[in-house]
Amino acid sequence: MIERKVRTPILLLCLLPGVGYLLALFGLPLVRVVYGSFTGSSLEEPGLGLATWQALFANPVYMDGLWFSLWLGIAPTLVSLLISLPLSALMQANESSRRLFGTLYKIPLVVPGIVAGFLVLIVLDRGGMASRLATPLGLSVPRLVRDDLGLGAIIASTWKTVPFMTLIIAGAMAAISKDVLAAARTLGASQVIILWRIQLPLAQAGITAAILLSFIGSLGSYVIPSLLGPAYPLPLSVHMFAEGFQKGNWPMVYAMGTLLSVMAVAVLLAYYTIIGSLGRSKPGAS
Amino acid sequence: MANGHTARGQRLVGVALYGYLALTLFFPVAIVALWAFYDPAVGWFPPDIIPRSFSLSAWAEVLADRHILPAAGVSLLVSVIVTALTGALAFPTAWALAQFPFRLKRMVEVFVLAPVIVPGIVVAVSLGEIFFRFGLAGTILGVILVQIVGTLPFMIRILTATLEGIPNELIYAARTLGATPLLAVTRVALPLAWPGFAAGGLLTFIASFEEFEKSFMVGAPKVRTLATQLWSYLGGEALVLPTAAVVTFILLAPMLLIFVLAERLSKDDVMAAGLGKL
Repeated sequence: MIERKVRTPILLLCLLPGVGYLLALFGLPLVRVVYGSFTGSSLEEPGLGLATWQALFANPVYMDGLWFSLWLGIAPTLVSLLISLPLSALMQANESSRRLFGTLYKIPLVVPGIVAGFLVLIVLDRGGMASRLATPLGLSVPRLVRDDLGLGAIIASTWKTVPFMTLIIAGAMAAISKDVLAAARTLGASQVIILWRIQLPLAQAGITAAILLSFIGSLGSYVIPSLLGPAYPLPLSVHMFAEGFQKGNWPMVYAMGTLLSVMAVAVLLAYYTIIGSLGRSKPGAS
Repeated sequence: MANGHTARGQRLVGVALYGYLALTLFFPVAIVALWAFYDPAVGWFPPDIIPRSFSLSAWAEVLADRHILPAAGVSLLVSVIVTALTGALAFPTAWALAQFPFRLKRMVEVFVLAPVIVPGIVVAVSLGEIFFRFGLAGTILGVILVQIVGTLPFMIRILTATLEGIPNELIYAARTLGATPLLAVTRVALPLAWPGFAAGGLLTFIASFEEFEKSFMVGAPKVRTLATQLWSYLGGEALVLPTAAVVTFILLAPMLLIFVLAERLSKDDVMAAGLGKL
């Protein structure tokens, strides 16, 4: 440290731009969201109550939306993990193809979510390229766009998430000392054992971050489910927009927003608890 | 050093990697290209795999659309300002987090990360309503302000990680040689933080350029960025595939350019250092 005793004013002055900005434009709106969910039909109305929350939990449309939001958060994360882990490991295994592949696989990172939705639409929608290619072969493509399970939305989210996850996980794996891997191989470990016993545990901090960021990103996404998802159920993110900007029912928007945020934080905490109990990492050590 | 034992193993790995790319990237983009260049006068219906004739009519239509080019300008303007402001706001905070020991530091770190944890739509909808009261809804300033909420956390993380990597001895040396603290920061730390600025700045620019949800909730319908304009061809009024395909290409071109730049300028490890742990 440059100076052991930094004067508090200097510290505060340094923190002010970043933290102050986030306090004003993130903290304040968030407090308003949580507070607003407990006020009555309008914010000006005095008194706090649970009326909005009761209305939210009593409405099966919203409850289905809650589960659907969670589904749209969890499913793409799991599928992406199943693709990203082997991709990251393969990239470590093949030095020669890594340079070009290592550049190209990241392209979806810069592709907007709405374009990802568009790609799924033209490939997988009925009359899309997949069904045109499959029909002459006597195959039929199941309904993947606006289907009940939101498979199209899950595919689009996964498409966006895989490079993001792979970037973080491959980065964490590349940081593992080559000597450790060589030692394991000398001692007779197979590629699979090395992946399972060395690469995964040592890259675990990266994998954790990738899982959480991907889950949260998909949980609140609006454009992909509204483009590719079914007409029912709608995720809470889509409900929020409709309730707020179309119906003006702001307390309900705030309650849904609070619920989504609580979900995200709950999953975060649950995840750290599970990982922590496995004894592989110290939660919150960063 | 290669891990695959045999040449055959290496080849299989290569096939797997590029097979994945072909299926998920080249194939869909090729279909977008077909849609962008097909001839609407002839049409392109199943079971045709390739359109029967091609034309530039969708491009002519898009370039004649009075919303598209201004939208591209707005996108560019917003992204440049968001990137500059994000860097300027993030640096002092990152400096404090990297160099000063203080109580509640952990709390500040968690708070800085909180906008990443809370789904963006929650803040977007709430700010959309607050901005409406202050007359900021539907303004470019409003869109810039709301986007920075999403980009600031990553920039602070990446800059903090970069600044932590600067040897303290360099700062000491500058101070010993008579530099004021401010001078030491601006002449020594700031230039050394360049890799962080490059990585964070590119990430910010990309995030801002492709951002849809926040810009839409705060800016729509007055402020049109390319991403929200694309929405009106896909989800809004009607499904216009050829136009959407052309706008997709217009949206992707600058992204790919920046992407190539990013590959040249920055290394993954800077990015991974900022994102790799929560």
